[in-house]
Amino acid sequence: MEPGQRKSDLIQFLRTIQRPDSPLQEIDGDLSLVESGLIDSLALLQIITYLEQTYAIDFREKGIDPGELRSVNAILEFVAREITA
Amino acid sequence: MKIPPLLALYRRVAQFHENEALIGWLQGSRVVVWLTPQRRKTILVVGAIFAAIAGTLSRHTQWRDYRHLETWLVPAVALPVLLGIVYLLYLMAARFNRLPAFVRARPQICVHAFFWALLVSIWLNPFPSAFAAAVMALLAGSFPYLAWRCGYMLLCGQRGKATATKFTDHFFYLFPVWDGTNTPPGKGHDHLSRAEAQTAAAYSRSILAGIKLLLLVALWKGAMQVIGAVVYGDPRSALTGLLAGHNLGIPRLRFIVNGNVTPPLGMIWLSLYLELIWECLFIAAKGHVWIGMLRLFGFNVFRNTYKPLLAESVMEFWSRYYYYFKELMVEFFFLPTYLRAFRSRPVLRILAAVFAAAFFGNMYYHLLQAKHPLVEGDFGRLWGLLGARLIYCFMLAAGIAVSMLRQQQLRGRAGGLGRSRGGVRRFRRIAGVWTFFAIINYWNVTVGVTIPERARSFLSIFGF
Repeated sequence: MEPGQRKSDLIQFLRTIQRPDSPLQEIDGDLSLVESGLIDSLALLQIITYLEQTYAIDFREKGIDPGELRSVNAILEFVAREITA
Repeated sequence: MKIPPLLALYRRVAQFHENEALIGWLQGSRVVVWLTPQRRKTILVVGAIFAAIAGTLSRHTQWRDYRHLETWLVPAVALPVLLGIVYLLYLMAARFNRLPAFVRARPQICVHAFFWALLVSIWLNPFPSAFAAAVMALLAGSFPYLAWRCGYMLLCGQRGKATATKFTDHFFYLFPVWDGTNTPPGKGHDHLSRAEAQTAAAYSRSILAGIKLLLLVALWKGAMQVIGAVVYGDPRSALTGLLAGHNLGIPRLRFIVNGNVTPPLGMIWLSLYLELIWECLFIAAKGHVWIGMLRLFGFNVFRNTYKPLLAESVMEFWSRYYYYFKELMVEFFFLPTYLRAFRSRPVLRILAAVFAAAFFGNMYYHLLQAKHPLVEGDFGRLWGLLGARLIYCFMLAAGIAVSMLRQQQLRGRAGGLGRSRGGVRRFRRIAGVWTFFAIINYWNVTVGVTIPERARSFLSIFGF
């Protein structure tokens, strides 16, 4: 999958899990998902499941570093690292 | 929309830590310029050396009541051993990739297995002298304080981020000068380094945010004095004497659970809700000191307690009430379970992870916290301390699981049953959260009654 496609798929997914009280009109690549209110522990789980299902990333050995999922660009960089590893 | 002048003034005063003029003035001051990140960390490391000595001496002093040990040699021997173990764990984190595969896969379990092996050896008492046994007991008694701090250090290693770190990068949060409980506020190196102010402007913001928290400590402690005097007539409150015996006469929950008093049903419910408010004030005042100190040293981390009484779901309350405890449960119990168990069954996956954290993790944390009976092998006392907590943790886990699954269903629904801005619905939600935590707190207060006795009095609050 092309990086551009990955990004648009991810943003589309983030829109499906956004908090109803703080919908994001524009999701900028470097926008902090924590500060924007999108990422909380529940959203984190949903992002993990999305990454497992979409890119077959296995978090079991390395665990999760929430910092790696802090923004759209950070998630995409993480995905790129994992699928080329 | 125009904001009323009084509200605007209140916001300006309350948000003084975001005042750009104040930040600009502070960042030019000599102290802020001199206190570079490196110097601040050096101060914290020096402080940590004293904190390590003071902490070990303090734990030994507590231990004397149990072991009748008079010699200072016990902490003098235990401390270097303890520091050696901590350094070894640092090396494990820094060279994580070189560890055997089974340690890499389960580093936390390996550390805790070492602790339990130490405990069993103490219980079996194979040591030739009381002195050796006392040193071992002091080491084991120090473990619960260090376990989660070292756990964060190992997590940092597991994530591949400890390779370039020095021991001093970790040492200051392993033995923090602000002390605290077994829960590390600010978590470990990963989280702290992300929140560390690197410029004078960022440091000034952090200082002001820290001062705000320390001012809030004074405010919440004042509120506790008022509640203590007006509501409970607590003789320990400085204001009780001024009221000349006039107070609402509502008993503390522990007296009700213990059967010391039998107030009318309405007053029992009032006591339940007031206990929740009291607990929130208490934990906020404590947590603001730790986070206030961290912020004064440039680590602008999240608050430990943030308006829990305004939470609109059980899950939200748990996150707002004692953030770093919740984070600890999530990092060490929830996520490992979530990543490994029932990966193809979403509901079961969440249920297992929630119960691993809020039930098992919560119980295990408090088991370690009961360090004296644990090291003594006094299982009867442990049951007395923790038996009722089993029910508390079960109810908590069930509440969080339901709340989490419900929230997950609501996510993404346009105009769904999301967080409401005001009105009756919001009030009902907040009241529901208060009621849930007020009720389960009945099983959390430490008293001397048995579980069946507590169950009988618990049912009586519902009219049974």
